[in-house]
Amino acid sequence: MTDLHWLGAAEAAHAIAARELSPVALMKALLDRIARLDPKLNAFIRLDAEAAMTQAKAAEAEIAAGRPRGPLHGVPVGIKDIIDVAGLPTTCHSKVLEDSAIAAADAVCVARLRGAGAIVLGKLSTHEFAIGGPSFDLPWPPARNPWNTDHHPGGSSSGSGSGISAGLFPMALGSDTGGSVRNPASACGIVGLKPTYGLVSRRGVFPLSFTLDHVGPMTRNVADNALMLAAIAGHDPLDPGSAAATNGHYTAKLERGVRDLRIGFVRHFHEIDMPAEPEVTAALEHVARTLQAEGAEVRDIALPPLSEFAAVNRVILNSEAWAIHAPWLRQRPGDYGQLARRRLMAGAFLSAGDYVQAQRRRLEMIAGVEAALREVDVLLCASAMDPACRIDKPADVERTYPRQARTPFNVTGHPALAMMAGLSKGGLPLAVQFVGRNFAEATLFQVARAWERASGMGKKHPPVG
Amino acid sequence: MDKATIELLARRAGLDKALAEFPEDVAAAAMQASGSAAKMKAPTDPRAEPWPPMRVGEGL
Repeated sequence: MTDLHWLGAAEAAHAIAARELSPVALMKALLDRIARLDPKLNAFIRLDAEAAMTQAKAAEAEIAAGRPRGPLHGVPVGIKDIIDVAGLPTTCHSKVLEDSAIAAADAVCVARLRGAGAIVLGKLSTHEFAIGGPSFDLPWPPARNPWNTDHHPGGSSSGSGSGISAGLFPMALGSDTGGSVRNPASACGIVGLKPTYGLVSRRGVFPLSFTLDHVGPMTRNVADNALMLAAIAGHDPLDPGSAAATNGHYTAKLERGVRDLRIGFVRHFHEIDMPAEPEVTAALEHVARTLQAEGAEVRDIALPPLSEFAAVNRVILNSEAWAIHAPWLRQRPGDYGQLARRRLMAGAFLSAGDYVQAQRRRLEMIAGVEAALREVDVLLCASAMDPACRIDKPADVERTYPRQARTPFNVTGHPALAMMAGLSKGGLPLAVQFVGRNFAEATLFQVARAWERASGMGKKHPPVG
Repeated sequence: MDKATIELLARRAGLDKALAEFPEDVAAAAMQASGSAAKMKAPTDPRAEPWPPMRVGEGL
């Protein structure tokens, strides 16, 4: 069997269900690895080792008694620390909430993972309030990239990306308002999905921007991502943004390949709007050629320019975030790190007219992407325009952070998946992004799996531990 | 956006404390906001509706 720490969620769940793997042995292996590696990676804000081991023992007993809970029974999961876990504080990686009350209940997405049998390991590092980072002026240090700990792991779901990539846990929850699941997935060489807006409940997740926030699964391979989405997706009548969607069969088309699928390559994002590093461009071309060789029809397609999407995203995000943070920013601005303080105060300088205008323009941008997705089944485009920069060089972070093509799909709500497209000469992951029609995550997984199978990307691990 | 306008808007938003303690951050936030708003194009249709901001649909 593979080293326990590199077992995927589906692989582990299958072995546990077949009684070939003890969930206690798996948990012990991961806790040992966390103890050894996390001091260098800072993926965790709070490790709940004792509770996790108790649950692993309970899972073992349940399985031995023939009472399986679900498709993730006994599989450990990490939770971004803006998402409530009953019995633990939700700090949002901020001094503002450092002494916050213990969450009385699980967020819906966490409850659904537990319902499928998953075991919560603890709470993971994030950019402060999912927006301010990487920061060194917070109560906890920022997470590091396992491919090179001098580099940024992406954000804001930084601990989720870092920990999965390093083999600390096989899956984690992240949140994505301007790309925060897909950024760490890209930087850390894993698979991150921003599902269709409304597919996964946000209840129990600290908001950043109500109409842009998404909760998404993060894993080391595509099949695990589909399995995790199946566990967390579904209507929540108490989340006003929740879609009346039923849970889909996300793993059904995984191995079908891409023959007869039409893929639209959005080249202008990385060639004209925001010219990417040559290594990124070469990796994207390689992905397109590979999928074509696998039988897909690949053609160029155009969307509105990246700068327009980014401006609309910023105006909406800043306005909605200001509504949430204004009381704290007025009374205790010094309790925020500088990056979050700067980004969250921006909403104070936008007018109601700016916000309404952004929402009006947004509907036109949604129509633009919808039109493109009537011509093709899936879009292929860049995620990040650069490999991850050094974490200790604020100027590099500031330059590279906005150089991305993820925000368009927070604006439009379409499902978008980022995954590894190759490695840079410096040994850092390069990424590709696939975008699908609303609620067509199964097709997105189908394309992503075809690329993963053809390239072997799901088997590459960082040189850590 | 000039300094006087930034201060006026910051005080109107209740950011007096931030203005006193972190004037550079207030200025940076103001510049970020004005930059984003300036880059945003107006809708092409003057009758374009803003609501609902997201159409979550019926799904599958």
